[in-house]
Amino acid sequence: MTSPSPSTTLITGATSGTGLALTKKLADTNEDQLVVTGRRDASQCSQDLPAGVDYIQADLASPDAAAEQIALAFEQLGHRKLDRLVLNAGIGFHAPVDAESAQMIRQTLDVNLVAAVLLVHKFAPLLEAARGKVVFIGSVAHGGAGNMPSYAASKAGIAGLARALQSEWQGRIDVQVIHPGPTVTSMHEKAGYEPGRLQRLFFSAEQMADEVAYWMKRDRKSVSVMFAARLRRLVLGRRK
Amino acid sequence: MRAVVTGAASGLGHALTNQLIARGIDVVAIDRVAIQPREHLTAYTADLSDRSAVDMLIAELIELGPLDYIFHNAGISATGNFETIPPTAYGRLMTLNCETPMVMTSRLYQARCLRNGANIVFISSLSHATGYPGAAVYGASKDALAIYAKSITKSLADKNIAVLSVFPGPLRTQHAARHAPRGAKAASRMEPDVLAGKILKALDQKRRVLYPGMAAKIVRITGVLLPQTTTKFMRRIIFEKLDRPVY
Repeated sequence: MTSPSPSTTLITGATSGTGLALTKKLADTNEDQLVVTGRRDASQCSQDLPAGVDYIQADLASPDAAAEQIALAFEQLGHRKLDRLVLNAGIGFHAPVDAESAQMIRQTLDVNLVAAVLLVHKFAPLLEAARGKVVFIGSVAHGGAGNMPSYAASKAGIAGLARALQSEWQGRIDVQVIHPGPTVTSMHEKAGYEPGRLQRLFFSAEQMADEVAYWMKRDRKSVSVMFAARLRRLVLGRRK
Repeated sequence: MRAVVTGAASGLGHALTNQLIARGIDVVAIDRVAIQPREHLTAYTADLSDRSAVDMLIAELIELGPLDYIFHNAGISATGNFETIPPTAYGRLMTLNCETPMVMTSRLYQARCLRNGANIVFISSLSHATGYPGAAVYGASKDALAIYAKSITKSLADKNIAVLSVFPGPLRTQHAARHAPRGAKAASRMEPDVLAGKILKALDQKRRVLYPGMAAKIVRITGVLLPQTTTKFMRRIIFEKLDRPVY
């Protein structure tokens, strides 16, 4: 008897925040082969990542090159199919319309939206070969956010892309979008936002990774992880 | 008064340009194809999917002086199964449809190029209400544009600059005919002139959101109440009838 080949999960933006926490969580709890991507040099982040995880370095701020690089490296690791693609990488700048520069807008759209489009495009055949699933990490800001306009726009684009692909790919590739609520990660720092006392209401990266891992296993097409989940955690403790 | 219209050579941009000039407004008409200058019309030729061309254009607009209107009208589509369209087409589409209007808006605003009482008009798409299987990335670009417009509305209103978002269904233009499934009827599509009139009227009435025409209004409500049914319907009337990729 041959054992079934292990299923493979690819996670982008896995060297910090929710991506890193999710990588650790999945490495602990399942048998999946994990392949993750990040912007940093492998030597800088290999000690953070769990053993047995394959790392691909690629900067999604250059979406064309990054999609090519990731697909090539993934193939060189010997994979011919992909069971789960988790598009988690994202950046955001805390800058309203009077402060947001052209460069900030372009980088936000490139990393959050264009790279996601190109990666999904690139991996579609491998996902289909596994009858796999795409998990888009959106944001509750996808309905609009005055202090991060292009970030909100990029996440609205993700929600729209997911909605269309759910319809186009029904029966071929599953498509899910998870919209995290406010989470304590370095993104707020990098975005130039100091949440102050509000931060007590935020999810930790580990809690959010827990929620994402929970919803990834389920069929719900669109999930917002907001205060209801925060409240449930306070009352019932962590997800099993 | 001065207005900037992108994608001014044909379709809705052309109609807007004519109606603005008829109101005595000077139009800076921008398109990838050359437009003949005439009285009240200054023409710029620029490919708005090219970042350096966009940056040069913005510098020229700042030089030109204060504006009363910006119409972010230029747009391209890519119709077909998501995976049959080459990625380069998606990059171009995203830049032209959402990045350029966003960059132009913030740069012109920050350079104090928008007069007190100015209006910025974003042409999104009715697909924002329905989802768009068969043009997934086009739909995503128009969703992003709509939410950008919504996100900046309050900050700009505080400075007395108004934002109008328009969500039109298919128009009777060359562009729409090229992307429509074969055999689709053009008769039910709105004339660009009619839409241009509705947009200028909505500006006069200081409206912030325009779903032009009865059909668009019904689709918008259906999209809110029955989102999945609406997307399913779009799949039936568009995605399942696609016979060729067009980009």
